Amino acid sequence: MLVAKIFRLINAGRLFRLLTVGCAIAQLAAVSALAEPEQAFSLQGFGTLGMARTTSNDLEFVRDLSQPSGIKKEWDGRIDSVLGVQGGWHINKQLEVVVQSTIRYRYDRTYNPEITWAYVKYDPAPDLSLRAGRLGTEFFMMADSRWVGYSFLTVRPPGDYFWYLPFYSIHGVDAAYTLPIGENLLRLKAFYGNSDGKIPLADRQWDIKGSPMVGGFLEYQVSSWLIRASYANITFKHDLPIGGLVPAASAEYLSTKDKRTDYYSLGAVYDQGPWQLQLMLNHIEQGNNALESSDGGYVLAGYRIREVTPYLGYSWVRSVRRTSADPYISHVMADSHSDQKTSIVGMRWDVARNTAIKAQWDGVRGDPTSIFPYRNDPSSGRWSGKMDIYSLAVDFVF
Amino acid sequence: MPVRRLLLLCMLSWLLLQPAAEVHAELVVVVNARCGVAAMTRNEVVNLFFGRTRQFFNGIEAQPVDMLDSHPDRARFYNALLGKDLSEINAYWSRQVFSGRMQPPTKLGSPEEVLKWVVSHPGGIGFIELSKADARVRVVYELTP
Repeated sequence: MLVAKIFRLINAGRLFRLLTVGCAIAQLAAVSALAEPEQAFSLQGFGTLGMARTTSNDLEFVRDLSQPSGIKKEWDGRIDSVLGVQGGWHINKQLEVVVQSTIRYRYDRTYNPEITWAYVKYDPAPDLSLRAGRLGTEFFMMADSRWVGYSFLTVRPPGDYFWYLPFYSIHGVDAAYTLPIGENLLRLKAFYGNSDGKIPLADRQWDIKGSPMVGGFLEYQVSSWLIRASYANITFKHDLPIGGLVPAASAEYLSTKDKRTDYYSLGAVYDQGPWQLQLMLNHIEQGNNALESSDGGYVLAGYRIREVTPYLGYSWVRSVRRTSADPYISHVMADSHSDQKTSIVGMRWDVARNTAIKAQWDGVRGDPTSIFPYRNDPSSGRWSGKMDIYSLAVDFVF
Repeated sequence: MPVRRLLLLCMLSWLLLQPAAEVHAELVVVVNARCGVAAMTRNEVVNLFFGRTRQFFNGIEAQPVDMLDSHPDRARFYNALLGKDLSEINAYWSRQVFSGRMQPPTKLGSPEEVLKWVVSHPGGIGFIELSKADARVRVVYELTP
């Protein structure tokens, strides 16, 4: 226990040092940016120093399924802390090259820096934007800015909606087109590419590299309302890492290779004056027998009073239970079950320019069978399905 | 130095005692007089300054210009336009920048520079106090505080 604690502190220390270096670079960048308003190069960054704890030692709470282990009853800085730096080369008005790197707790339990995106953006016309390279995916609304804490109200995006979306980038292309309809705007976006990354499962990793992803959305902006409908799918290239754990026949039945999973979502955002409102719904249809299809959603409302914005939210997720006479198969199926609701109460305080402090309480109220969102198997059988999460975060951009 | 500061303080407190309308001269949105736009609605102004669209209704490419946080007109503009605080505007732009969608408009430090930008760019659009607008620009939207 003590060893684990020291390890965590060391990791936090390393992260802090990286953040300090990042801030120093940012200061330099900010000075040069002021000197030359229309410059060819830009350097910007974002970061979060977060601490969180839960009220249960039975399971580990994670921010999303890209994290191999999570937090328990002790304050822990791993799941929400991040540092990102983004460099841009603006060749001319139409052409831009962007590279973003982030440091955060990864699928392989390290903090090795990752290239989040690296792409060329070409805007042949004011209403058309094309990108190619390593791109962020917008499977759901705001999914491509999930780590930029400063850009949203809550400490982390509502988990019941986002935790089973561990895909961050594709190697591919996307195109966005904006069509004005009177004073309103219709925006269309489509993307295609190959997924990149690994998803940690128990002590193994599920390789999703090379899995083709395709998707798009329709977005309608009416005054301060933004409404979006989106669809995306991924066709997995590899099986779940269960080889050797289950008999061959069961593994065959649970195969995910060449099976497609569909993601549907609907979102509405209202943002005017002191109010911020969000409503999101999703449906995930699994084309394989190993994972359960699910429905999720959340509502979030915030009201700003000067520099402080208190907010309230409610999120839920429920997967469709599957059973099998084969004990191996039903065990794997049960691992992907979720059935829970979460209440969220928090406060964002914009304490200084480009810096926000947040405090949040999440009350998860679920069924004891709801184990997919967490890490560590509840072999003890004590998991009640209920836990509270207390979080503190400092978000900044530079 | 202390004398100048004291003087500044006196002037500021004198200004604060004046009726609000005199202190806060009206902010207006101006475009390059030759861009062919005569008036805009609030939604059209919002769409351009938030990068939701990059064209005026007549198809001409808009080149919006913003002000630095340090200039008080920036906070006044977004507060009058949408009731939004600068932290919310900056949060919006950090989402656009770090998701790779777009860069924010150029930010300038003084109304004189903004005026110069609008005049020197065919699709230039910016916000200044009404009293600073001249014949080279056209007032397309008036903000009511």
